[in-house]
Order: sequence, then C-alpha cells, then structure tokens
Amino acid sequence: MGEFVQLVVDGLSTGSVYAAIALAIVLVHSATGLVNFAQGGMAVLAAYVAWVLTNQSVPLVVAVLASIVFSFVLGAVVERYLMRRFERGDPDTAVVVTIGLLTLITGIAGWLWSYNNQQFPSLFPLDTVSFLGVSISIRSIGTTLSIVAVMIVLQLLFVRTKLGLALRAVAINPQSAAFSGLPVERLLMVGWGLAAVLGAVAGALVAPQLTLTPGMLDNALVYALAAVILGGLTSPVGVVIAAWMIGVLENLAAVYVPFIGHDLKIAVPFILLFVVLVVRPQGLFGRKTVVRV
Amino acid sequence: MARVMTAPASSPSSPSSSWRRRPWVRWATPLLIVAVLAVLPLVGTEFQNETLARIGVFAVAVLGLNVVMGYTGQVSLGQIFFLGFGAYVTAYGVSQDWNIVLVFVLACLLPAAAGLLVALAAARLGGLAIAMVTIALPIVGVPLAKRLNEYTGGSQGLSARFAESPEGSGLYDDQWTLYLVIAIGGVVFLLTHFLVRGKYGRAFAIVKGNENVAASMGISPYRYKVLAFTIASAIGGVSGFLYMLVIQYTSPETMSFGHSIELLAAMVIGGAASIVGSLLGGAFYVLVPQLTNQVDASLTALLQGAILLVVLFVLPGGLASLPRALTRGRRRLRAGRGPAAPPTTPSSTPGSGTAAEQPETERQGHA
Amino acid sequence: MKRHLGSRKAVGIAAASALALTVTACGGGNDAGRGGDAAEGAPSPGITDTSVTLGITTPLSGATAGPGTCTVAGVTAYMGMKNAEGGIEFGDGKTRTVEIEALDDTYDPQQAKANYDQLKDDVFAMTAGLGTPTNRAWLDAAIADEVPQVLIMTGDPIFSETEQSPWQLGFVPIYQNEGEAFGELLATSTEEHKVAILAQNDDYGEGYVEGFKSAIEGSDNIEIVDELTYEATDTSVDAQLTELANSEADIFFNAMSVTPLMISALQKAQQLGWTPSWFLPSNTSSPTAILEPGGAAAYPGIYSVSFSKAPQSPAFAEDEDVQTYLSALKDYGNYPDPPAFPHCQWSWMVGATLEQAFQNMEEPTRDSFMEALRSIEGYEAPLMLPDTSVSTGEDGQPAVSTVVVQKFNGRGYDTVETFE
Repeated sequence: MGEFVQLVVDGLSTGSVYAAIALAIVLVHSATGLVNFAQGGMAVLAAYVAWVLTNQSVPLVVAVLASIVFSFVLGAVVERYLMRRFERGDPDTAVVVTIGLLTLITGIAGWLWSYNNQQFPSLFPLDTVSFLGVSISIRSIGTTLSIVAVMIVLQLLFVRTKLGLALRAVAINPQSAAFSGLPVERLLMVGWGLAAVLGAVAGALVAPQLTLTPGMLDNALVYALAAVILGGLTSPVGVVIAAWMIGVLENLAAVYVPFIGHDLKIAVPFILLFVVLVVRPQGLFGRKTVVRV
Repeated sequence: MARVMTAPASSPSSPSSSWRRRPWVRWATPLLIVAVLAVLPLVGTEFQNETLARIGVFAVAVLGLNVVMGYTGQVSLGQIFFLGFGAYVTAYGVSQDWNIVLVFVLACLLPAAAGLLVALAAARLGGLAIAMVTIALPIVGVPLAKRLNEYTGGSQGLSARFAESPEGSGLYDDQWTLYLVIAIGGVVFLLTHFLVRGKYGRAFAIVKGNENVAASMGISPYRYKVLAFTIASAIGGVSGFLYMLVIQYTSPETMSFGHSIELLAAMVIGGAASIVGSLLGGAFYVLVPQLTNQVDASLTALLQGAILLVVLFVLPGGLASLPRALTRGRRRLRAGRGPAAPPTTPSSTPGSGTAAEQPETERQGHA
Repeated sequence: MKRHLGSRKAVGIAAASALALTVTACGGGNDAGRGGDAAEGAPSPGITDTSVTLGITTPLSGATAGPGTCTVAGVTAYMGMKNAEGGIEFGDGKTRTVEIEALDDTYDPQQAKANYDQLKDDVFAMTAGLGTPTNRAWLDAAIADEVPQVLIMTGDPIFSETEQSPWQLGFVPIYQNEGEAFGELLATSTEEHKVAILAQNDDYGEGYVEGFKSAIEGSDNIEIVDELTYEATDTSVDAQLTELANSEADIFFNAMSVTPLMISALQKAQQLGWTPSWFLPSNTSSPTAILEPGGAAAYPGIYSVSFSKAPQSPAFAEDEDVQTYLSALKDYGNYPDPPAFPHCQWSWMVGATLEQAFQNMEEPTRDSFMEALRSIEGYEAPLMLPDTSVSTGEDGQPAVSTVVVQKFNGRGYDTVETFE
C-alpha cells in the first residue's frame, strides 16, 4: 500500500513537470490557435536569464521575476516580428516556424552557455516530509501546488475575465473580433507574452530537477504535447489532469504489470486514452464543437 | 495545427499554361528529366552521389507525409515510424538472406498494414485522435524496437549492405545505389503524382477542405483518410527500404520523435501538397545539416534554426512557391509601389496555404 | 501570370540543377575512395609531408552535446599544443602538424554516416567520436573503404574484435570491464549483500550489468534482489527508485549515463530513506557536477571506476599533467571552463595515443598507421591513473582495458582494493 501511494505521488510530481509546459502551450493555443513547439525553448531561455542573474548574486526570487519580465517582452516580440507573418496563413507553416524557433533558441543557448549541465537553485527546499509511509520533497509539493495555482488562474482568466474572453475571440475568429472593435494585434502580443511568462515560471520550477541545459525541456515537451492532445487542447484543467494521468498511469503500469515494464510504460496512457476517445471523441475535457457546412 | 483548413489545395487544380500545352514541351520535359537522371550518377563524385541518394531517401519520406498531411490535411506526427519499420523489415530480411524483391515488397506491405490498422481506429475519431496516435508511434516505437531485440538487434541496431553493383556493370557501388534510389524513388513519385492528380487526389483535397462538404458529395471522409494514411505508410516503408540501401544501418534512434518533427518541417519548407516540394524538402533535410557543418560544426543548431526561419519568412508557401513569389515580385515592380497583388488563386481564402497573399504581411516581408 | 504559375515542371528541373550545383560546391572532393586501388606504399588520403588530417563525427548539438563537445576539445587541445611546438615527428622521419575536422552528427546515425562519407576522402583517419549507434552506422563502410575508425568513445565490444573490425579500435574500456571491476571488488567482501540494479535500456546498461554479474557469479554472499531499467529519454526515474528502495538492498548498482537523472536519483533515494552504497559508471561520477548537487555525502559509500585523473579533485590540483592539460584545453581546445565530463580527459589521452602511433608508423599509409597503433604496449598516457595504461595488442579489448575502482572521499576519489 505504501508503495502504491508513493508511486501515485511520484507520478503526480513527474506529471506536474509535463503539466507546466502543457499549460503554456494551451495558453498560446487558446490565444492564437497554434501549437507552439518553441514554448519549452523560450522557458529554457528564461531560466538561463535567471541563472545568469543568480550567478551575479542577485537573489533567486528577484532573478526569477526579472526572467518573467524578460519573457513577457520576448513573447510579445516573437509574436509581433516573427509569428504575425504566419498567423493567418497555413497553420502547419506557423507550427513549423515555431519548430525553427525552438532549434534557433536551443542553438543560441548552447552557443552562449555551452551544452553542459548547470545547477539551477531551487525556489523550494529539498527537505522531505513523510506521512502515511510516503515521502515527498517540499520541492515536489511546491512545484505541484504552483502548477495547480497557475491552472486555476488560467481557467479563471479565460472563463471569468474580459481579457480572457477577448483572447479567445481573437483565436476563434480574428476577423470578427476585429470587426467588433477588439485590438486584435495587441491581444495577440499579450497572449504570447502571457504564455512566455507561464513558460518562465515553469522553467524556474523544473530547472532544479532537470538541471539547466539548452535541451532541458525537449523530452518533457514530447510528454507535454501528448498531455495537450489528450487533454483536448483548450482546457487548462484538462491538460493538467492528462499530464498527471500520464505520470501516474505509467508508474503504476510499469510496476504492477510486469509485461509492460519500465520501457513500454509510456504506451499505457496512450492506449487508455485512445479507448476514452472512442467514447468521447472531443478529448477528455475539450468542448464539443458543432460544425456547419 | 488542429485548425481545419478551409481551402482545397491549390496546386492540383492550378490551370495548365499555354506554354506547357505546346506538344514539344509536353514531350521534351519528361524526356529531359529522364536524361538528366540517367546521366547524373555517372558524372558526380562519390560523395555527391551519396548525398543525392540520401536526398532521394528523405524526399520519398517527405512525399509520404505529404500524401496524408499536405494533400489530405490530416496531422501526422509519426511518419518516421513507418520509415523505421520499413528499414527494420529490410535489415531483418537481408540478414535472413531472403530474396531482395520479397524484402522490398514486405518493406512496403508491413508498414502499410500497420498504417491501415492505425488509421482504421484513429480516422473515425477525427483530427485530434490521429494526432494522438501518430505522436505515440515514435514515442512507443523506440522502446518497442529495443524490446524486440531478437529481430531488431536492440540498441546496437542492424547493419545490412546489399547494394553492391552487379558484376560487369562497370559501375561503382555509389553509382549503382543512386540508380536504384532514382528508379524506386522515381516510380513512387510518378505514382503519387498520378494519384494526387486523379480522382483520389480530388477527393483528398475535398476531405482536407471540409469533411462535411465531402460527406454531402458522397465522398466518405473516413474511407479517404484511411486510404491516404495507408498510402503514406506504404511510402514510408519504401523510404525505409531506401534508407537501408543508402545508410546501410538502422537503430532505434532512426525513429525518434525529433526526426519525425524534422520530416514535418522539411515537408512544409519544401512546400505542402506539392510533388516538387517533397523533393525540395528532402534536399533541405539532407543539405542544411551538411551546410551548417561546413560553416561551423559547433553552431549547427543555431544556423539550422536561422535558415529555417529565413526560408519560411521569405517563402511562407515553401521552396516550391518560389516561382509564384518571383512572378508576384516582378508584377509588383511593373505596377510600381501600389498595394499588393490580388490573391493568385481564385480559391484562396483566409486560412488557406498562401499567407504571403495577405496584403499587410506582404509589406512586412519586403520592407 | 498564369503562364508562370503553370511552369512547375520547369521549376523542378531548375531546382534539380541548382541542387546538383550545391552538392558539387559542398563536395568538391576527389574520387580517391572509390576502388581503393592505390599503389603499394603511396601516401593515403589526408596526409602530406607536412601535415595529417584527422576526422571526427560526434554530437555537438542535442542531448549528448555536452560529452560530445568534450570528445573534440581534448584531442584538439592536445594536437594544438603539439602543433605549437612545431608538430609531431612521424616514424618516416618527417615532422607533421595535425589538423582536425570535426562534424556534428547530433547523435543521429544517419547524419554520422553522412559525415563519414563527407570526410573519408579528405582525412587520414577517423577518431574520438562518441556513441554506439553513430559509430556502428559507418562501421561496415569504413571496413569496405579501409578507413581507420580508431580510439572512439564507445564501450561496445564489436569495435575491438580484430576479426570483425579490422579497421577499428575502441578507446574506453568496454562496458563489461567497468561492471566487472566493481563486481570483483564487491566479491572481496565477506558480508552478506543484497544488490539492486538499475540499468539504461541499451547496450550501455546491459554491458555493465553483464560484467557485474559475471564477476559475482559464485559468490554466495551476494544476491541480486531487484533489477530494473529506464530509458535515456525519461525525465524521471522516481518510480524505479521507489520500487528498488522497497527491496531494501544495501548495494545499488546504477548503470546510468544521463547526468540530470543521476543527480535526481541520488536525491530521490535519500528522500525515500534508502541509503545503500552506490556504484556509478565512469562517465557519471563527477564529484562537482553530480555528487555534490546529488548530496552524495548521505551515503555510506560511493564507488566508481576510472582510469583518468579528475582535474577537479584536490588530489590532482598541483599535478603537472593536469595543469598542462587545463591550460591547453583553454588555449587550443576552445574549452575555457573546467571540463564537466571525463570525455575531455579521455579525448586528451586519445591525442597522446595517436602521437605514439604516429611516431612508430614507418610509411604515410593507413596500413602502416593501423600496424603502429596496434603495437602500443603499456603506454602510460598523460592523465592516466597509476595501474592503468594503453595497450592495443590484445584482441577483443579496447586501447584502455584496465580500470581501478575508487571510492568517493567527500571531495574527490581514492583508489580502493577492498570493499569496506
């Protein structure tokens, strides 16, 4: 029993890493209708900025705040001067542009700071708390709670605020949004800026565990994309739950189903959710859309 | 990525020119291509031939992706899996001394069967499910290849050399290999060309444009999606066969997710829904790492990212849209500094594959 | 307008010609590789009377770029230092400078093969590249072209089987050797031991485990209680550690090559209250880069195997070898920071070993080079630990086949003879 609970807790904490990136991807998707592969790369860049500052003996919290400001500007600039050319075109092209951006950012980070692993100080201590025979580090709890907080804020932003409504309107139909007087271009910049901020928070949360390298989030990005697709692309709650499901299910399957083992465990969430999709084609938490001919 | 594209692909329906209708052009063009391809392997150096052969491999892989994604509009993140599958089938067959023709047939059929199975289940559920299943293919494929180490050689992979030039042909191995790649790849390109120009191609385009319209016209989106996916998988298998022919080695790394994404990028850079674009995409996939290695081997990622962005910034429609872009540039010069040209294809609507036609983005690019 | 729109085929031809031109520009090599029917004793490609060119294909970007960059930096620094002294005097009496051409393969076998194809006619020998699949991809081609593929950074035994791989030689100990060395040490213990194993799911992990198991075979006091794997692309190994901690093993054999996972494994086991003695492979046991952030002081013993001096270790701070090495790395290797991976040191030793071979080769040919390379016996390369050496004569063994087991002392490592 202790092992089972421990595995669930471990899975939640691993899943939170995926969820952090997945939330940023959902934010950009909700605001611009695109899947941004460079989200992880931008988060890594923000983490490097914070890391450089802490090396200049800037306090960690201040450094992270500075990297958040940097990220907002970076996100807005990327939208204005790079993505805008592609936003109304073929979405596949825009996605490939973000892939190019990811490669470029990774290359820049490798060039400036080398491909070596750098230690990133943690916002939360690594001390362990135990209850019911389960051990968990304060860092994991802190990361998970931060993700939940971000998720709730995002959900509220989209559902309860005018800004969220405007962002969604722009994503769904930029032209109608423009006709109804919304400042579409500025909203797109804000959407990208906010997503980059979210990425910076995610980067600062997971960098201590993954150690800072230019490709730090590449593997996590694949799982985050999977979570985004499983969670239904539009719902912050959905993708976080999907990310946790990936983390927990793969742990349990690996340990309790010997045939699957630790090598094939990643197949489990996909298979299970494929079964779910057969029942609910719009994803776990996606909205059902009515299509008109 | 999940956005539904609303315009049918422009290229299959683009009107033929009067220039191209002249009989001598219609005869001479294919003849010229065949002649160039026949002579090419004889004049190049060994390394040039090897590079061209590699381009052939990835051009076929990109072509397969184009069938399902470019022409039919279904997001596939797992094309590399079928390349890897085909490569493994080939390597295993060669190591068992099976007849090479049989190996080739199996390298097409087995990936096609896998693709069919995947598509039968996923295509029923729409875009999201296809994206999900296809992203899972390389992610699961890599550990699966290691698990099946009896057949795959595990993480150490499989080597197979089976392209030695026949006795008495007087050809070097690299020339012989390139001829095989040109012949097999050429047939695949030709068949795909006829497929997408024909009634299936029109059906694919309608499904890509709007599934409900397709259904109302009596075209089953499901059937055509499954068909496109299966054909793409078979072509992927062929590219895997060619991969073994040229690279002569495969391992689980061959089918990693990163390479699948690189294929997708190559498809868009070459030009989605374009036969020539697939060839250019394959060339991009092979030549850009080569080029960046020449410039500075320690900055390859930075340079590759920059090149990709510059190409798409200048040509959002991919390399295959270069002539269109040039035409427009010339027209604009003639028309002075007036507003941009009207859309080049009548079917073009916002959200179609031709971003450069948006007036405001046009100015940005040439400012 | 329409006229131009339709001329796609013409464009295709134009594109193909442009392509051919690009390829020509990129290639530009000669056809020396074809046939390989050079006259007896004539110089091989890549060598002149005044210089010799070596080729490297290794990951310089992507997930393994950290160690990959080191594999180039060490040998480049060594040869840079030698060139600054005027060059190396070869066995044929001529003094040559050594040029190095390194290409990035991103750990993609296909790209590695392409890099090899590009280099094979311009370089005298290929060397120092990192990775099993990336070296295997052109193994057969190198044999067919008779291009040396030597002193490469993989512990895959195939590269050291002379019969199968006449033009190859590995540099670092085969993975089995490293696992075996620790198994032998453990077998000296008289107490009862329970061992938990975590291994990377590839030839690297399998090799370590195989060597370890063969060494403890017949030791009744040692029992393997649990054995798991992980993928090099995993972001976390928490579940494996949770499962292994329940085995209550007192020895943890962790054949892991991924730096961040090793750090988080060290942290996770402590959180779970599991404090066994650890065994770490030679490439993931850096005191500063791994043990310190991982909090290794919490464990009763951290063992690793090594054959090179660790520049970070205080024991070697004043060592002359180490100081020469660090300054050359900065001046000629384009590697200003203290090396984070042992591959930098290994690559430096590759440089020294190549120099030995160059000094003994009597003709400027690849044949003569292979012969000279295969007859190095008991050479103590710079940075080597006592009791280890470069010996290339033994079939089935790479250039370095001896390792010593070391125990972490809180700051660096000490060589140990018995398990305490």
